[in-house]
Amino acid sequence: MRDLLEKIVEMGLREGASFCEVRYFEERSNSISVENGVARALSSGILRGVGVRVIVDGRWGFSSTNIPTWESVLRALRDAVSGARSIVAYAGEEAKIAEVKPSIDTVIHDVKISPEDVSPEEKVKRILEIERAARTFSDRVKDTFLVYGDAVTRVVVCNSLGTLVEEVTPRMRLYCRVIAREGDNMQEGYESIGNVAGYELVENISAEDFSLKAAKRAVSLLHANPPPRGTYSVVVDPRVGGLFVHEAIGHNSEGDLVFSGQSIIAGKVGQKIASDLVTIIDDPTRINYGHFTYDHEGTRAKPHTIIRNGVLVGFLHSLESAAKLGAEPEGSARAQSHHYPPIVRMSNTYLAAGDMTLEEILEDIDYGIYLSGSQYGYVESQKGQFTCKVEEAWLIEGGELTEHLRDVAISGLTLEALKNISAVGRDLRIEMPGMCGKSGQSMYVDAGAPHFRIDGIVVGGRK
Amino acid sequence: MGVEEIDLAAPVEKAARLLSQMDIDFYDVVASYSRSISINILGRGIKEASSRVDLGIGVRVFRNKGLGVAYSQSLEDRDIEATVKRAVGFARVAQPDPYFKGLPGPSKAPEVPGLCDSEVISLTLEEATRIPKEMISAAEEVRVGAMYFGGFSASYSRAYLTVSTGVSVEAEKTAVSAYLQPVYREGDDVGSSYEFDYGISLSNINPCWIGKRAAEKAIEQFGSRKVESGSLPLILMPEASGSLFSSLLSALSGEPAAKGRTFASGLLGKHIGPETIDVMDDGTIPGAIASSTYDGEGVPKRPLKVVERGRVLTFLHNSYSAGIMNVESTGHAIRGGYGGYVGAGPSNIRVKPGDSTLDEILAETRRGILVLNASFTPNMVSGEFSTTIDEGFLIEGGEKKHPVKNLMAGGHILNLFKNIELISKEGRLFGKGHFFPIVKIGEVKLSGK
Repeated sequence: MRDLLEKIVEMGLREGASFCEVRYFEERSNSISVENGVARALSSGILRGVGVRVIVDGRWGFSSTNIPTWESVLRALRDAVSGARSIVAYAGEEAKIAEVKPSIDTVIHDVKISPEDVSPEEKVKRILEIERAARTFSDRVKDTFLVYGDAVTRVVVCNSLGTLVEEVTPRMRLYCRVIAREGDNMQEGYESIGNVAGYELVENISAEDFSLKAAKRAVSLLHANPPPRGTYSVVVDPRVGGLFVHEAIGHNSEGDLVFSGQSIIAGKVGQKIASDLVTIIDDPTRINYGHFTYDHEGTRAKPHTIIRNGVLVGFLHSLESAAKLGAEPEGSARAQSHHYPPIVRMSNTYLAAGDMTLEEILEDIDYGIYLSGSQYGYVESQKGQFTCKVEEAWLIEGGELTEHLRDVAISGLTLEALKNISAVGRDLRIEMPGMCGKSGQSMYVDAGAPHFRIDGIVVGGRK
Repeated sequence: MGVEEIDLAAPVEKAARLLSQMDIDFYDVVASYSRSISINILGRGIKEASSRVDLGIGVRVFRNKGLGVAYSQSLEDRDIEATVKRAVGFARVAQPDPYFKGLPGPSKAPEVPGLCDSEVISLTLEEATRIPKEMISAAEEVRVGAMYFGGFSASYSRAYLTVSTGVSVEAEKTAVSAYLQPVYREGDDVGSSYEFDYGISLSNINPCWIGKRAAEKAIEQFGSRKVESGSLPLILMPEASGSLFSSLLSALSGEPAAKGRTFASGLLGKHIGPETIDVMDDGTIPGAIASSTYDGEGVPKRPLKVVERGRVLTFLHNSYSAGIMNVESTGHAIRGGYGGYVGAGPSNIRVKPGDSTLDEILAETRRGILVLNASFTPNMVSGEFSTTIDEGFLIEGGEKKHPVKNLMAGGHILNLFKNIELISKEGRLFGKGHFFPIVKIGEVKLSGK
């Protein structure tokens, strides 16, 4: 495969490209779906192919194929070159990349137990054990679902800068969903665990900390109330905090959104955009779900500080955004598969720990809302307006958690909310493994935070 | 766009031959090929031209009511054999699903015309570039100086499905879509919005209209302000009302609906709102985006009245959910390519227009929110929602006062249907298939400053 990639890069330069990148992608995945104690479906898939990206006459062309033969990849190259030429006459973004030293390396992430060494029967047995804890928790548990997924991704990047990098990454994820019911009232609880890991992750799961937690949450939400609506001080747990960091600031710091005028923090490097308590880092080198060693342009990944003590210090970069914004690329470009060009993505994004306990954060809030567990969120980065859907919440009254609340979502404006972070805890946890969507691509990410407090957040509710 | 003549029938039949010799109860095999081209817009204009060839085969095997699935992006003989082997091996390990009753048999349907546009198939990247260029030019005629996000894409896809019950179906389709989001800045103030269109044919896309509308809507968003918490009527434009009706039909679809797992599971035969609500699902409209002759399991598509005079008449079934309720499939199986999963969901959603105009609806609104863009998709289990009004205006005395920001609406989706006060006679036709009117909903709880 490496020979093929190298020859196509050479051909690309001969066909007139000033930059040529050829990327082989392969992903082998397996999943098992359990519903109410029945492992009703087992699935396995193999994705593989080649994506070719070129700069010709200052414009980008990209093409991909599932067929990794010389003829098919050569056709993809020619499509990419002719694609770039097809837009040369039209006004738009000039294509350019940062000139970096080539990387030549092979990285294979080790696991203790390869999922391939565990039989499907054994996996089913173990997953049913984990699911059983949720199913048998209460007669109000209506349905339980558990999805096991393993995947091994192999990416080989070869480009005309001389880079030739191969990385093989195993990932494991379990997702549990429980529906509880009482009369017409139905509520859900979720838990998710995932990492760059092998089957040992599944062996080490404690049902009490995973599926049982989801079941307890679903059942307890049956008696939770809608939240009050309005603007409040909120305290977020590490999962809601992770979602906030990802949506409110993470996307805004993606270099491609910055140079293209789609970010509310463009042009603000060196400015104070958050309270002194805020330091936000994106770190692909941490062993969490968004971990990798080389990005999909072959740049070695480093931790990136986005905000330090309230001051915006940098963005996340691809080779292109680094060139356009005058920065060093530090490895943030990834692609969902060979069918997509690399774009700037977060990895493991978190708010750095402060020094307070949760009790200290809560104690001077007379009336506010404590938010726990994240569902999903989104941001309109160009406006800096974000929304985060939360699993459950509690009223804070006189510094104490009181009434249990459900169906809570928060909305805020990035530049206001960052300045309104008024207390940060010491209990950093990164435990939000999931997939992030951007420009039609889905990517492995993780996020986290310690408990922290934000003032003046709009809480959606019915009361 | 350079579509290749790749034989899909031969690999599918090869897999089917292998499967027919094995000790299994049911199987289906699908292979699909697609070719797409796109021109991406970012920043100052056109950024990138791209193209893609995708090819794959998926096998589903049922044995003793357990399901094994395998798929591969290679149609080579040895990969087909390996894919079949993996699916059969997994089906042997899977446990019996008591709700599985079998796969549907063959039935003939008249072909739905107009789903494959030869102009799209022959479109080159050079020709495709005209569309983003025209979108941007039209936006710049309204106002220069925007930074953009958007693009145009065109695709052709062909799929071949064989089921062990005798179903054998081949279908091809084209699709096009265009989108433009201009962002204007005046100091710290941002004017941003978007417009889009999609369909089967190039004639479904009017790039000049998209560019002009996107720019005009973006400029209108300057000076957005926060609004106090309270309860106000909402006027949902078609882009927002679409999420309301799509959510209802999704919650009435397939396994989750039949197994009592959605907010709409208990709605059969019940009234959800005023008698002015009529919703039809029709996957047989010629040339419409969500039309097809057969559904994802080879069952003929047919028009289906889902809500009549405010009353829910039916679920939207695939064979699995129909089996749970001992009824026939309504032809709403949706197969997500060759990846194996078969779900159920709506096709072209048609909401019957009412008799008001937007001007009349606005005129009779003393104070309310005109919602251009917001998702009213609720928690599909509980039906409760809490959503940000992504783009909207405060209405006072029947007129737009100012755009809003940082404003949320919350409640139960069924209360939104109950409180529908007016439905407009005008609306928007999306992809020549979906039709959503403007809908006015009485008091909705809002969270703001």
